[in-house]
Amino acid sequence: MSPETLLTCIVFLPAVWAIPLVLFDAKAKEAMRYWGVLGTALTFALTLQLLMQFDSNKSGMQFKFDTPWIANWNVFFSLGVDGISLPLVVLTGFVCLLSMLASWSIEKNFKGYLMLFLILETGMMGVFLSLDFFLFYVFWEVMLLPMYFLIGIWGGPRREYAAIKFFLYTLAGSVLMLIAMLMFYFNSDRSFDLLELARIAGGTSAGKSHVYGMSMQVAAFIMLFIGFAIKLPSFPFHTWLPDAHVEAPTPISMILAGVLLKMGGYGIIRIAFPLCPYGAQYAAYFLAALGVFSIIYGAFAAMAQTDFKRLVAYSSVSHMGYVLLGIAVWKIVDGKTVGREYWEMGLNAAMFQMIAHGISSTGMFFMVGVLYDRVHHRDINKFGGIAQLMPHYAGLAAVIFFAGLGLPGLCGFVGEVFSVLACWNFSPLLAIVAASGVILTAGYILWTMQRVYLGPEYKGPHPEALVEMNSRELAIGYTLVATAILFGVLPHLLFDPMHGSIQALTQSLASSYETLYGAIHTSQLP
Amino acid sequence: MANGSLTHTFSDGIMPETGDILMFLLTVAWLLPLAGFVVEVYWLCFSHRLNKGAAYVAVACIGIGFLCSLTALLYWGNATKWAALSEPEHHAHSASHDAGHAEAGHGEAGHEHEAHAVDADEHSHSPPPAPAKKYFSGTYYELARFSGLRVSLDWYIDSLTLVMFTMVTFIATCIHIFAIGYMHDELTEEYEDHEVHLHNGGHFSRPGRFHRFFAYLSLFSFSMLGIVLSGNIFQVFIFWELVGLSSYLLIGFYIERKSASTAANKAFIMNRVGDFGFLIGMMILWTSFGTFQFGDRTEGDHTQAGLFTMVRGQDGKLDVSEDGKEVYLQDAYGHRAERNGKPLSISYMLLVAAGLGVFAGSIGKSAQFPLQTWLPDAMEGPTPVSALVHSATMVAAGVYLAARFYPVFTPEVLLGIAYIGCITLFIAATIALVVTDIKRVLAYSTISQLGYMMLAIGVAGWGAALFHLVTHAFFKSLMFLCSGSVIAGCHHVQDMSRMGGLRHKMKITAYTMLVGVIAIAGLAIPGTSIGLSGFYSKDAIVASALAYSELNPGHILLFIAPLVTAGITSFYMFRLWFLTFAGTPRDAHVYEHCHENPSVMTTPLLVLAVLAAGCAWGGEGGPLYRLIADSELVPATARVASTGAAKVILPSHQGHESDVHHVHSTAGMLALISAIIGMTLAYLLYVKKTIDPNQIRQQFSGVYDFLVDKWRFDSLYDAMFVAPVHIVSAWCVSFDKGVLDPILHSAASLTVLTSKWDRAFDETFVDGLVNLVGTVTYNVGNSLKVIQTGRLRQYVMWIAVGVIVLFGALFTTIPK
Repeated sequence: MSPETLLTCIVFLPAVWAIPLVLFDAKAKEAMRYWGVLGTALTFALTLQLLMQFDSNKSGMQFKFDTPWIANWNVFFSLGVDGISLPLVVLTGFVCLLSMLASWSIEKNFKGYLMLFLILETGMMGVFLSLDFFLFYVFWEVMLLPMYFLIGIWGGPRREYAAIKFFLYTLAGSVLMLIAMLMFYFNSDRSFDLLELARIAGGTSAGKSHVYGMSMQVAAFIMLFIGFAIKLPSFPFHTWLPDAHVEAPTPISMILAGVLLKMGGYGIIRIAFPLCPYGAQYAAYFLAALGVFSIIYGAFAAMAQTDFKRLVAYSSVSHMGYVLLGIAVWKIVDGKTVGREYWEMGLNAAMFQMIAHGISSTGMFFMVGVLYDRVHHRDINKFGGIAQLMPHYAGLAAVIFFAGLGLPGLCGFVGEVFSVLACWNFSPLLAIVAASGVILTAGYILWTMQRVYLGPEYKGPHPEALVEMNSRELAIGYTLVATAILFGVLPHLLFDPMHGSIQALTQSLASSYETLYGAIHTSQLP
Repeated sequence: MANGSLTHTFSDGIMPETGDILMFLLTVAWLLPLAGFVVEVYWLCFSHRLNKGAAYVAVACIGIGFLCSLTALLYWGNATKWAALSEPEHHAHSASHDAGHAEAGHGEAGHEHEAHAVDADEHSHSPPPAPAKKYFSGTYYELARFSGLRVSLDWYIDSLTLVMFTMVTFIATCIHIFAIGYMHDELTEEYEDHEVHLHNGGHFSRPGRFHRFFAYLSLFSFSMLGIVLSGNIFQVFIFWELVGLSSYLLIGFYIERKSASTAANKAFIMNRVGDFGFLIGMMILWTSFGTFQFGDRTEGDHTQAGLFTMVRGQDGKLDVSEDGKEVYLQDAYGHRAERNGKPLSISYMLLVAAGLGVFAGSIGKSAQFPLQTWLPDAMEGPTPVSALVHSATMVAAGVYLAARFYPVFTPEVLLGIAYIGCITLFIAATIALVVTDIKRVLAYSTISQLGYMMLAIGVAGWGAALFHLVTHAFFKSLMFLCSGSVIAGCHHVQDMSRMGGLRHKMKITAYTMLVGVIAIAGLAIPGTSIGLSGFYSKDAIVASALAYSELNPGHILLFIAPLVTAGITSFYMFRLWFLTFAGTPRDAHVYEHCHENPSVMTTPLLVLAVLAAGCAWGGEGGPLYRLIADSELVPATARVASTGAAKVILPSHQGHESDVHHVHSTAGMLALISAIIGMTLAYLLYVKKTIDPNQIRQQFSGVYDFLVDKWRFDSLYDAMFVAPVHIVSAWCVSFDKGVLDPILHSAASLTVLTSKWDRAFDETFVDGLVNLVGTVTYNVGNSLKVIQTGRLRQYVMWIAVGVIVLFGALFTTIPK
C-alpha cells in the first residue's frame, strides 16, 4: 500500500466503516459489536503497518503529501507522520480497539453509539496526522462533537452537565486556537502549512526573510497554550475532566484518558512550540511550574476522593503534569540553549509519559469499569476484599495501578522519572517539588488499593455479582498489563522512533531562538 | 542475553573473558528467581493448591543461583590467584605518593605538599600509573539515549558483588527451605485466620496461599540480586523500588489483616520518602556528570570515565579547587575532564547535596533515623520474610548502597552518615530494652545493627561496615528463623512474657539461637581474640570509631554511643534468650503445646549457626574481610583531611601503621567489657532475679512509657505529615468545587443572562422597531385607502396635481 493511501485509510477507515451500520438491524447487537471490533482492529492493523514502514533513522516528516482542498484559501489536505505523531497514532488505534472490546456493556441505542465511536476515531487520527493547521482544526472539532454526544447520551446520571461542561471548555480552547491560527495565516502570506509556518518562525523559510514579531508570538503562544492546556488538562483548566470521566461510560473514559488528553500535549509539541519559539521560551518557566503544580495538586486532590473514577481522573491531572514539565524544561542563557540534551530528554520523557499514561490510565479506567459493571457503584469506602473474591482481576489491577504509581519495570516509571531528572538542569527548585510527587502518588494509590482490594470482606451492595473476569475482559486486561511491562522493561522500543524527530525539533527550536535573540538585539523586530 | 563489553584491561594476565564468564554466572543467578516468580504466580495453572511444587521451584531457582554465585566467586579467586587474600600491602599504593595527594590539599593533617594536589600540570604531564582495576563492568542494553546522554542496564562485578551474591543467595536458600516448613499451614483450601474479625462476628477463612508466598520470595530475590549486580545508580534505583514492592507484598501477605496492609503501606511510603532524596541526588549527579555509571566504559578507542573515576580520579583523591568551592572532574586517563577547552567541575556543596540525597535513600531502606518506624511494623509479615527481607538482605541494601557509593561521598556527607548511624543505633537499642514481642526485639536490634554499619561507613571504616553487614546477615537471619521456629512451635504466640523454659522442649532452636545471641553481643574469650563472627566485625567498627574520635575530639560521641550500645545490645539479646528459653514456663498452656519443629526447619538453623559462628574467622586478617576490603576504591593508607564545612580528618585503616590498627586492641577490649556487663546484668535480672525488673520499670515509669511508645515517633509523624496531607487534599478538592467550578458556573450563568438580555432587546427594541415600521406602513396604507376610490377622473386629477408639484419642486430646487 502506498504511504498516501495508508495514511488516508487510517484516518477515514473508521468513519467509512460506520456507514454500513445503517443497514444493520437495531436489535442485531452481537453482529454490530463484531463489526465495530473488526473496524477498530483493521485500523489498528493499519497503524501497525505504518509503524513497520516508518524509518526510525529519519528525523523529518515521512510519507507527507498535499492535495489542494480549498484552493482559494490555501487550505490543503495534507497528512504526514514523524516520530512524534507515530506513537500517538499507534496508541489511538490500540486504545480504540481495547475500548471497543470494553463496549459490551453498552445497551442503549448501540448503533448510534458505534457510529459516533467510529467518527470519533477518525477525528483523533486526523488530529495526529494532519499537517495543515486548518485541517487540524477541522479534525479537532470533528472529534469534539461525537464525544459530546457519547457522554451526554450514554453517560451516568449527571451526563448532561458533564457533557456541556466538556463541550464548553473544549470549545473555548478551540476559539482561542482559531484566533491564533488566523493570526499566523495573515502574518505568513496566507499559509496554513504547519511545517512552513514553523520554518517562518525559525527564520529558515526559503521565501520569507521576516519572522513573527515578539508580541505576536507571545500572544499566539498564550492562546494556543490555553487551548491545549484545557485538553491536557492542566491546572486550572482541569475541572471538566473529573466530571466527564465520572459520567462517561467505561469505554469512553478509556478513550478520553488514553487518547484525548494526549492531544493537548501533542498540540503543544507540534504547534505551540514550533510556531512560537519566542513565546514558548518566554513562558517556559511558567509552563514548567504549572506542570509541577498540576502534579502535586492532582495528587492531593486524588487523595481526598471517594469516587473511584474521580480518583483516577485526578490521577490523570497529576500524571499529565509530568508531560507539561518535560516539554517545558528549555533552559536559555543569553539566547543560547544550555544543556540541550536535558531538554531533549525532557521532551522524550513527555512523549513517553503520554504513551505510558495512555496505557496505565486506560487500564485503570477499565479496571474501575469492570467493578462498576458488576456492582454499579464506585464508592471506594464501600469496597474491600475484592482480592479475595476476584484474585485474578485483583492481580491484573494491581499491576496496572503500580504502573500508574510509577514502579520501575512498568511503563509509568520511565516517563515520570526522566522528566523529573531532566528538570534539574532547568530549575532545581521545580525538580525537587516535582520529585516529591513520588511520595504523594504512592500514598493515594496504595491507600486506594488497600480500601478496594485488600481486607477480609466486601462492604457494598450486590456482593453476589462479584465474579471473576470473563475471557473478553481478561484479554483486555492482559493486553494492557503486557504492554505496561513491555515498555517498562524495554523503553527504547518507544524512544527509538521518537528520538530523531525530537532531537531535530530541539535543535531547530534552539537555533530559531538564537536567530530571534540576535534579531532582537540588533532591533530588527517590532 | 547481552554483549557485555569489558571496560578494563587487567594486569597480571587476567583474561578479559573472566568478566564475561562472571557476568554470565551472576546473570543466571539473578534471572532464575524471576523465571521462578512467573512459574509460581501461575502455579494454579500447572497444579493444585495443596501441591508443594511451587516451593521446590523457588528453592531450586535460588539454590542454583547460589551454586552459580559460589562458582563465580571461586572462578574469580582463581583468575586473580587469590591476590585479595594476601597481605593488604600487596596492592596498596606507596605511602609517599598518597601523602602528597592529601585530599583537598589543605588539611590540618599536616602535609607539606598542599600545592601539588591542585596542580593541574602534574595531572596533565605525568599521569600516575593506573593501578590495576579491581572490577569488571559492561552493559546489558540501553534503555534510552538522548544525544550524548545515555541510560542503560549495566553490570558491575568486584569482590564485593561476589561476596554479596554468595551471601544473599545462600541465606535466601536456607530461608526458602525453612519456609517450606513454616508456611505449611497455608497448604489448605480453608485457612482460618483468627486475627481477622468479620462484621458479623464470624471466622474468616480463605484458600491457602502457599504458592503465592514463594512467588513473592522469588520476586524479592530477583530484585535484591538486581541491586547488587547494578552497574549504575539509576539501575540501583530501579531495583531499589522493586525490592520495595516485594517488601510491600510480603509485609502485606495477610491482605485480610488491616494491620498488615497498613504496615505494608507504611513501609512503601516511608521508603518513598527516602527515595525522594535519592531522586534528588540522582538529578544532581545526572546533570553534573551526565552519566549514572559506576565504572569506566570503553566504546571504540575512547574510554568514558564513570562516576567513581570522575570524582576520585585514578588515585582516589578529590580534586578540589584552591578556594574549596569546586571539585574538578577527572577523565579515565588521569587528567581533568574538559569540555570545549574548559575544565568540568561540580560545586562542592552540590556534591555534598548529591551524597546526602543518595544517602537519604539508604536511610529509608535501612530504616535509619528519622525513617526507622516502618521496620518494626514490617514484622506483620510471616517470619521467614522478616529473616530474609527485613534483617539479612533488603534492609542491608541501604548500607550496601552507601558503601558502593562511598567514592562520591565527601567527608561532610560521611560525618552526616556517622551521626545518623549513631543516633539510630542508640534509639533502636533503647526501645529494644522494653519490647516483649520476640520478633520486635529482633527488629529493633536490626535497626540498631544497621546503625552500626552506617556509623562505620561514616567514620571511614568501609571494610568494617561491610564486614558487619555480612556477619549480621548470618546471625540475624539465624535468630529470626529461630524466633520463627519458636512462633511456629508455640502456635503463633509471639509474646515473650508467655514463654520461658522452652529450651527443654526446643533444644536445637534454643542453642542455635544462643549462638546468634553470643555472636550479636560480640562476646569472646577474654584475653584471646577468639569469638563468634559478631565479635570481629563489631570490633572493627568500634576500632574505626575510636580512631576517628581520637583524630576529631569534637566527635567523641561517635565512639561513646556505639560502645555503650554494645552493652545495651548484649543486655537485650540475653534478655530475649533468658525470657524465652531459660527459667520456668510462665504460661503453662503455651509450654504444654510447644514442640520442636521438623528437620526441614531445624536444618537451616544448624547450617546458619555454623556460619554465624565462623564466617568471620580470622577477623580482619581473615578471608572474608580481605575479600571485601579488596573492593575498596578509595584507598586509606593515609589520613585524609577535609577542608569543607566540616573540618574532619578521616583515619587511615589499611596496613599495620594505620590509625585504626593502633587503637584496635583498646577498642576491642572496651567493647568486650561493655558486652560482658550487659550480659551479666541480663543474667542478674532475668535468671538470678537479684534485681526485679518490675521495680526498675516502676521507678522509671516515665522513661519506660516513652520507650514503649517508641520515642513517640509514630504520633509525631501522624501529626506532622499524615494529618496535614489529608487537610491539604481536602483543600484541593474544595478549591475545585468552591472556586474553579463556581467561576465556570458563573461564566455560564453570565452567558445565559446575556442571552436573556439579548432576547429582551430583540423582542422589545429590534422587534419593536421592525413592528413600528410595519405598523406605520400599514397605517399609512390604511389612511391612504380613502383616496383609492376607483374613479378615473379623481386619479387623473391626482396625477396632474402630482406632476405640477414635482415640476414645481424641480424648478424651485434646480439652480439656474
